[in-house]
Amino acid sequence: MLLSVSDRSRVSRPADLVQGTLDLLILRVISLEPMHGWAIAQRIRRMSNDELRVGQGSLYPALHKLEQQGWIEAKWAASENNRRAKYYTLTRAGRKALENETAQWERLSAAVSLVVRRA
Amino acid sequence: MRWVTKLRLRLRSLLQRDLVEAELDEELRFHVERLTEEHIAAGLAPREARSAALREMGGLDQRKEECRDARGLVLLDEVRQDAQYALRGLRKTRGFTAVAILSLALGIGANTTIFTFVNAVLLRPLPYPASERLVILREQPAGSAGTVAVHPLNFLEWRARAASFEALALAQTPPLDVIGADGADQLTRIQTSVELFRVFGVVPVLGRAFTPEETRPGQHDVVILGHGFWQRWFGGDPAVIGRRLAVRDGSLTIIGVAPPGLRIGSIEPDAYTPLPIDPAKPDSIGSRSFQCYGRLKPGVSLDAARAEMAVVASALARQYPMDEGYGVSVSGLHEYLVREGRPALKLLMAVVTTVLVIACVNLAGLLMARAIRRRGEFAVRAALGATRGRLVRQLVIESLVLSFLAGAAGLVLAYWSTRALVALTTGALTVGSAAPIRLDAACLVFTLGVATLTTLVFGLVPAWQVSGVEPRTELREGARGAGPDRRRHRMRSALVVTEVALAVVLLVGSGLLLRTFSRLVQVDLGFQPAQTITMKLFLGGRPDDARVALVDQILDRVEALPGVMAASTIQFLPLTGLNCGTGFWLEGQARGDPSQALPTECSLVSRGYFAAMGIPLLDGRPFDRRDRMGSPRVLIVNRSFARRYFPEGRARGRRILVYSSNQAWAEIVGVVGDVRHNGLTTEPAPTVFLLHAQTPGYITSLVVRADGEASAQAAAIRRAIHEVDPLQAVSAARTMEEYVADSLARPRMYAALVACFAVLAVVLAAMGIYGLLAYVAAQRTHEIGIRLALGASRGDVFRALFGQGARLALAGLVLGVAAARGLRAAVSTLLFGVTPGDPASYVVAAALFAVLALVVAAIPAHRASRLDPTTALRYE
Repeated sequence: MLLSVSDRSRVSRPADLVQGTLDLLILRVISLEPMHGWAIAQRIRRMSNDELRVGQGSLYPALHKLEQQGWIEAKWAASENNRRAKYYTLTRAGRKALENETAQWERLSAAVSLVVRRA
Repeated sequence: MRWVTKLRLRLRSLLQRDLVEAELDEELRFHVERLTEEHIAAGLAPREARSAALREMGGLDQRKEECRDARGLVLLDEVRQDAQYALRGLRKTRGFTAVAILSLALGIGANTTIFTFVNAVLLRPLPYPASERLVILREQPAGSAGTVAVHPLNFLEWRARAASFEALALAQTPPLDVIGADGADQLTRIQTSVELFRVFGVVPVLGRAFTPEETRPGQHDVVILGHGFWQRWFGGDPAVIGRRLAVRDGSLTIIGVAPPGLRIGSIEPDAYTPLPIDPAKPDSIGSRSFQCYGRLKPGVSLDAARAEMAVVASALARQYPMDEGYGVSVSGLHEYLVREGRPALKLLMAVVTTVLVIACVNLAGLLMARAIRRRGEFAVRAALGATRGRLVRQLVIESLVLSFLAGAAGLVLAYWSTRALVALTTGALTVGSAAPIRLDAACLVFTLGVATLTTLVFGLVPAWQVSGVEPRTELREGARGAGPDRRRHRMRSALVVTEVALAVVLLVGSGLLLRTFSRLVQVDLGFQPAQTITMKLFLGGRPDDARVALVDQILDRVEALPGVMAASTIQFLPLTGLNCGTGFWLEGQARGDPSQALPTECSLVSRGYFAAMGIPLLDGRPFDRRDRMGSPRVLIVNRSFARRYFPEGRARGRRILVYSSNQAWAEIVGVVGDVRHNGLTTEPAPTVFLLHAQTPGYITSLVVRADGEASAQAAAIRRAIHEVDPLQAVSAARTMEEYVADSLARPRMYAALVACFAVLAVVLAAMGIYGLLAYVAAQRTHEIGIRLALGASRGDVFRALFGQGARLALAGLVLGVAAARGLRAAVSTLLFGVTPGDPASYVVAAALFAVLALVVAAIPAHRASRLDPTTALRYE
């Protein structure tokens, strides 16, 4: 399936499509509330009705890259089961990026489905 | 704002590595634990659950590595990716790559070559300690732009009065005749006061410098060897100190060896001997004929030294009549040595910069066309989330890759052309230090800088333009859209017009310089340089009558040689930059009143001079054997002299008194033609010829007119001289043709280099026109197909494209001619015999370029008109 984020996609040399998509998903999910990595993966899975499974390994490099880009910020806090966990929040730049990425995604998916349906 | 955050994060990743690592560890461990818990909840045993979790993570270390990558190395990684992508893209479009790299490499190569010279001649300091403090002092006659050599009396006064200098040294360069293993030899020598080595901040590598005692009047038979001479003659033997160097009237004790690479003025002397100055009678060693070098005290500026010397000079002018009307000029030594090369190099640097600009404009046009072709690709990438910055970066990296490749190729070109140019510029540029002209680190840095700068300036504009694609319009319109191109098209046209205009400017300039050169070659020198051999003889150390007798004997012998038509001597050969000016009085004027003296140049010659040099006798007779010390005093004047001072009638038979070493009233017995003694471009001045047999001097050049091969004749002449005096040293022979070639060296260099660069510029500009038209034709293939299918004739298609090319060329031509006329003042000083507005140069340049441009425009136009409509319509 086209949109499944495969475990094999290496983050350091991303295929643009897949990587861009994972970034978009992460930004979208943490725009709801600050979350740690585990929760982000779970949330993506649940929100997509189990269709999208974020590879356990590919999530963290993506998070670190987004942090470096200044789109998300990290803070250490106690987790729901009282362990220390790294929580990610969207920055202002991240919120703007999310808007852009969302708009672009909508354009692209509309274009792709146009092609796919006609052909 | 954002970049501050980014920078902080990047720095944190770099500097607080341990903390970041620990955090990463903890973060991943947390995830693994949660995953393990999930597996346990699903019913796995704790150990299996954990190993399953780790398996799913795909190796913790690998993940960590990826996170590290994401933190710090993202940018680097992407840059490498872009570079690889760029290389792949460039390999795919070989034609584009070849043209782009070639044109840029030519531009960069030309710049690096000229920079190599600028660096070696103008920028590299002289190779002495604190060399910026080295100065040269000359005397400056009031109201004259030029300077003259220094009088020993003034040197003594300056040394006593001026506080600006750490040391001042007086020097002269009479040759030194020594007796070597194979007979007499003439060495270059500096005769100098004691401070010379201190002025240059060096000490002898062996032995010692002169003591103050050795530069006081008296006999001091000591010599310091030049480093090169020491190597040549003594094989670098350190035991040379204390040995004796045989000279014609005795021998000199070798007391030291100068350091390597020491150049005094423009010569690297073979030997240094003391110059004894008698404070009571300083002019006993000569008058205004010495060089004065100085070293400023630390912290004293050149301006301060000049101000002080102005005060000293006015005091001296009040004290000594001979200093009336003389000032002192103080110049940096480096500045002084390169005074003639500087404007030449500046001009060449301007020319090659223009070539580089043309190459870059060309490249910008090519990149723009390439980028426009790739708009589809960018639209897709933009649609997939690439930011504009990312696209610009990709394009800039692509042009960086291009320019580094071109820079490397340019360096190779520069390496070769520098070697070729060293030969071409010999004699045309004075170089202050002995260090060879070659590519060095400074040149590499320069090339790198030029390559990077060109990229940034000329790669960024097209990159920015194209990266702003709107994916939706772009993807919908596809490659066939013709509308949005218009603006970019105009920009490319403007670029082509610019490069044509610049090329035309260079072409006009090179036309002017070529015509200057051809005028110089045709200049009537006033003598016949062909078949004229010259050698220098130094006749010092003999009484006057012995010198006269020696010259007589030598001339007799040489004249008797087979093939020799005439032989003579002159003190300063024409075109060597040396001459002698003096004053004279007409009969009836108060004898010897300096205020009434009339100016003239003078030449000290022997009998047979006019025949040997091929100077026509216009009236009267030449000097001959009858004119001796005891016979009536005779003179010969040139035509300018006769016209200026005897405008009403004949000069022959008139008597004048010339200020000279042995002055007496003398009769003008002949008038000869004018000679361009002071250079090809300098009008002949009134000159009086004195006879050596009646007013002897001690430096002289032998001039021989002879048939046959010059070097064989030179050997025969040398033997003849040694038959007269085996110990008389003779310099190597030079023909007058060689001296003429020397005077042509600089204009030849200008003409050759500027013409080369102009051709380069024209080729690049033609490439620009061709590239634009070929691109337009390719873009309009589809349209042309339709037109042809609808019945347009092939002539229409040809005319449309050809017309576009012709219009661009014409616009560039007009602009270029206008610009060239605007720049007239810049070249006027380099021209001779042509005006800066010389119509022929403009017409020929314009016509040449027009023909080339039309041919270049016709090729793509013709190709487009030959298109097969059915193929063209299918063309994407």
